[in-house]
Amino acid sequence: MAPDTRTISLTVNGQPHVAQVEPRRLLVDFLREDLGLTGTHIGCEHGVCGTCTVLLNGASIRSCITLAVQADGASIDTVEGLAQGGEMHPLQDEFSEKQGLQCGYCTPGMLMRACEILAQNPDPTAAQVREAIASNLCRCTGYQFIIEAVIAAAARMRATQEVAP
Amino acid sequence: MTAAQPATGRTGSGAPPVRDHSAKRRWVGQSIRRVEDPKFLLGRGGYIADRITPDTLHAAVLRSPHPHARIARFETAAALAAPGVHAVITGAEAAELCDPMPDFGPDPAKHTWRCLAADKVRYVGEGVAVVVADSRYLAEDALELIEVEYEPLPAITDPERALDAGSPLVHEALESNCAYERSFDFGDVERDFAEAEVVVRDRLRWHRSGGQPLETVGAIAEYDLGTGSFTIDTNTLSFTSYLFMAAATLKVPVNKLDIRPVPAGGSFGSKLFANKPAVIAGMCARKTGRKVAYLEDRADNISNCDHHGSDRVYDVELAMMRDGTMRGIKIDVIDDYGAYIQFGVGHHGNALAQVVGPYTIGSVRYRVRAALTNKNQQGAYRGFGSEVNNWMLEQMVDKAARELGLDPVAIRRMNFIRDFPHFIPTGNVYDSGDYERVLDHALDLAGYGHWRDEQRRLREQEGRYIGVGVITAQERSVFSATEFWFWFDEPGAPVTSTPESVSLKVDATGGITAILYSCAFWGNSPETMVAQLVAEEFDCSPYDVSVVYHGSRDGLPATGPGGSRTTVMLAGAVEGASAKIKEKARRAAAHLLEIGPDDLEWADGGFRVRGDPERKKALGEIAIMLHLFKHSFPEDMESGLDASKVFDHPYTTMPSADRKDLGVFYPFVGHACHVPVVEVDIETGLVTFLHYAAVHDCGTLVNPRSLAGHIVGGTAQGIGTALYEEFVYDEDGQLLSSSFMDYLIPTAMEVPELTIGHVETPSPYTPHGIKGGGEGGRMMAPAAINAAVNDALAPLGVRLTELPMTPERILAALRAAGHAG
Amino acid sequence: MKPPPFAYAAPTTLEEAVGLLTQHAEAEPRVLAGGQSLIPLMNFRLAKPGYLVDLRNVAGLSGIRRDGDILVIGAMTRMSEVERSPEVAVAAPLLAEAIGLVAHAPVRNSGTVGGSLAHADPAAELPAVALALDAELVAAGPGGTRVIPAAGFFQGPYSTALAQDEILTEIRLPVWPGGHAFTEFSRVHANFAVVAVAALVELDGDSDWIRRAALALAGVAPTPVRAVSAERALAGASGDAETIRAAADAAAADLSPAGDLHASPETRRSLARTYLRRTIELAVSRARNER
Repeated sequence: MAPDTRTISLTVNGQPHVAQVEPRRLLVDFLREDLGLTGTHIGCEHGVCGTCTVLLNGASIRSCITLAVQADGASIDTVEGLAQGGEMHPLQDEFSEKQGLQCGYCTPGMLMRACEILAQNPDPTAAQVREAIASNLCRCTGYQFIIEAVIAAAARMRATQEVAP
Repeated sequence: MTAAQPATGRTGSGAPPVRDHSAKRRWVGQSIRRVEDPKFLLGRGGYIADRITPDTLHAAVLRSPHPHARIARFETAAALAAPGVHAVITGAEAAELCDPMPDFGPDPAKHTWRCLAADKVRYVGEGVAVVVADSRYLAEDALELIEVEYEPLPAITDPERALDAGSPLVHEALESNCAYERSFDFGDVERDFAEAEVVVRDRLRWHRSGGQPLETVGAIAEYDLGTGSFTIDTNTLSFTSYLFMAAATLKVPVNKLDIRPVPAGGSFGSKLFANKPAVIAGMCARKTGRKVAYLEDRADNISNCDHHGSDRVYDVELAMMRDGTMRGIKIDVIDDYGAYIQFGVGHHGNALAQVVGPYTIGSVRYRVRAALTNKNQQGAYRGFGSEVNNWMLEQMVDKAARELGLDPVAIRRMNFIRDFPHFIPTGNVYDSGDYERVLDHALDLAGYGHWRDEQRRLREQEGRYIGVGVITAQERSVFSATEFWFWFDEPGAPVTSTPESVSLKVDATGGITAILYSCAFWGNSPETMVAQLVAEEFDCSPYDVSVVYHGSRDGLPATGPGGSRTTVMLAGAVEGASAKIKEKARRAAAHLLEIGPDDLEWADGGFRVRGDPERKKALGEIAIMLHLFKHSFPEDMESGLDASKVFDHPYTTMPSADRKDLGVFYPFVGHACHVPVVEVDIETGLVTFLHYAAVHDCGTLVNPRSLAGHIVGGTAQGIGTALYEEFVYDEDGQLLSSSFMDYLIPTAMEVPELTIGHVETPSPYTPHGIKGGGEGGRMMAPAAINAAVNDALAPLGVRLTELPMTPERILAALRAAGHAG
Repeated sequence: MKPPPFAYAAPTTLEEAVGLLTQHAEAEPRVLAGGQSLIPLMNFRLAKPGYLVDLRNVAGLSGIRRDGDILVIGAMTRMSEVERSPEVAVAAPLLAEAIGLVAHAPVRNSGTVGGSLAHADPAAELPAVALALDAELVAAGPGGTRVIPAAGFFQGPYSTALAQDEILTEIRLPVWPGGHAFTEFSRVHANFAVVAVAALVELDGDSDWIRRAALALAGVAPTPVRAVSAERALAGASGDAETIRAAADAAAADLSPAGDLHASPETRRSLARTYLRRTIELAVSRARNER
């Protein structure tokens, strides 16, 4: 007997999608396997580590404890949508410059969370960044260079905003 | 100070020549952006789970809820009939499809380790069956339909009780829960203790934590019926030369097993030779005739990763003179290995490599007993057992300082080793170092004097308990194979190889490709290391070097990351392969320039005529000729420009027959000083950091920023080990910390900003003077934090001797000392 | 760790939602709010509802409004909205402070006020707040709507007065505009509380006397509990350190907390005493500063 499915419509990185999903399908599995967007990773599957973080309508969520059906009608942003026209997002570029990654596994979730952090506060202090990224575990870096990267990216993003018409 | 003369000493004859490190370096030493980064930043990392294709089947493992039980009966019919299920394999069937797992432990036949438990389960979480289905969802649905009848047995969880006669036996065939016991004496222990004026004693307890990388172990396996070959993609490839054991497990010839490494999302040791998922995936692939992925989930990994860290009870005596001189040390350690012992007591070899720390302690008695219990087994965790010895020794030094009324900094300084190379009582050598310089730099960065003043002031004025920890300890690097077997007088396999290989190919355009044969990317930047080293050799940009990984079957010998060996061994392999390439390129250039090879010198990416620099050939010009213009060269010069180097451990010597001298087995020894400043809230047991300075000396740094990142990350894990992380088993053998809700990994709020300093005392024996340093942060932090907490609580007469120092343990200690919470 | 299969509906009206719970009672239905507590349990296969009724499309369950002396919050209001709300900051600053301690911001983006209350984790923050404020919880069921006082709502670990076919629709919080403090002891940042304390004090006019106090603790019992003996000790008493210490001691003596791998019963009681004392002191100090 075929499993019961639902139709969901959602936008992912600006692209509209319509799909049939089982109600129990986790959003992270839908993104990774159904849409082939493997940049979002699975760390714990119980909502503690934040590795699976994506943005839903601009707010960070844990896609391992979100059902795909809960994203019906929503706009999702994943790491694959950060770079534009072959150019890395300032956050991505600064993560590389500051060596804010080692194994890279927590990095997509960390980047998406950082997007939200800077959208809410474009000029955070290092202490504010540290507290905000406490939502996302990193096992490699000890967080210090991640914080430096976010601060550096914030400065660049502010500068671009000031220059933009 | 660094050595300027060849090594002397009783086994000095084995030392490699002392190198000259005076050459100016262009790429080595630069904190360049890592070459690995773009794919990870773009979300194109290619981790094992990213390689699932629509035709891949998925495996899920049924795990025992009992810590110790016989498996009486299986009912699998319902599971087999469930939607999307292709196979159900029980442990009994797996025992026919596969031989036992590769096991370097003592007497594997008596504690047989299988990919799935066949007749008995020995820890909560041990796998008993595997289901293969169209999706992980369906596989887990089917797991619930499997009925297993267990006959529970009494569980043994306390390692000391495990060693008592009459304890429940984890492995009946062993007739004991003691998998290994031996006592070694190095130097004149009896004399040093007889002459000692004070003997400082203590009992210390270090509970197990583990790497717990955010990515678990996974494998995707295919079995080709046409060729009888397995191809397995997995995020663990190490000890390539020992993969014949994994092939034996899968019952195929070695040359029918190809293990291909993919990037790993962290390891910290836990992916070292972690073959069980590959074996399970392989077994399932062969059974179903399909490609099968077995990706551990977090529940699988926490209970069953086979890489729990050291779990030790120490009874220690440190023989001292009243003036603070350390004479000898007696160490009696029981290590709780869990239900299996795959790496034997290698973790104690790591301890013996630097057992006396940076001090001129003249004698060591080391008694080790490996206890088996109903827990998941130990494996590798950053430090591999040496970090525990660092902690134990530094605890003893601080206790000695207190008992003798000496300053903790002064007592360390006065016992420092100052002349290098220095052979410690076990026979291992410390190749170079400058411990005073590291200590002084650390104290300066820490603002030591300021914090001592603050400590006093805050205690007197506000009743607050601030502690400053100062620890000075070693970080050995690049292990030898001898530490696998010097435990036995008559070892079955006295192996001596731990090679690492690199192949370099120069293409017709002069572009360079470097092939690695293990060195699976774990977050440890092997590609950047190789790119910088190749750039150094060939004057190219590191970003122009292409680095690829080769599978095991038709690759060169390689050992992979572990014991902080990667950078040194890759440096040796790159150096060797580069030399061969340059040798051929020189001869080719000589032909092209019609001059003798000895009249050419390498400069700026090519060979030029000495004294006539305009006559030159760039590497690319040489390469295209070698690739395409055979007739321009003599008959004996083959086309192409590529070379490989199998770089063997450059400095290993044999243990003596009586094992009073274990030889040199871990010679490139770095050193560090950590100075954390903590506050302990004596009402809650919470520990917070006020400052943290760390100075490391791991010789010449290839990429200083990268090493700094490892120091911070390793320190963060050390903070976890010191304060938060523990695999907690209750008396009944239930794993209480079975998720990240209870196994507590430090967040950004638990890790302070580190003030990091570097000292570089090059190794006399390695390319560029590089030593390994990836493990160092974790090898220091637990000792340092324990020291700081004890310093804070000293006025209350409280001393913590058990890690992690949870609020529960701190408050219990305060209560025991009469301070109500 | 994938969840087991379940039937699913995302109705658009409350009546529909209640109807589905009644209709599918034999499937052990559960309500899905934010899922931040339920879905992890399902991933572990510790919860296996046969039917999930998703409230995401039901109109009228979200929102924050002031109704005289009552702050009304719709059950499906996301915690992040509560955290940002100026109305909550003014009318129920205890809630504003507590909600910032619920897990991490990403969890609060999805998690709902009603979801946390209905989940009734004994260590959760919002049930303690509801109890301290003597909140009323409004439930809709097949028989209509009923109002359940917080004191009777939490009945045991993960167990409330809600029937299987009742849905929490809103929470009504009496306004308590100041003199608040919420603290908790957790092992690592934003991890679940080992012990949490909600403290509310109201001072008498210009004096230092405490007119009334409301104190609730989480993590020390099968449900959140009011520290009644401490409240009695503080009412009409001076807000000095000794009185507060004695009140905290009295409250702690009433507790018989359970132990787990993070804290023994004795440590929990000791932490409760310490946090009660510190939290009451903080609430009193704020009450003074707010005058």
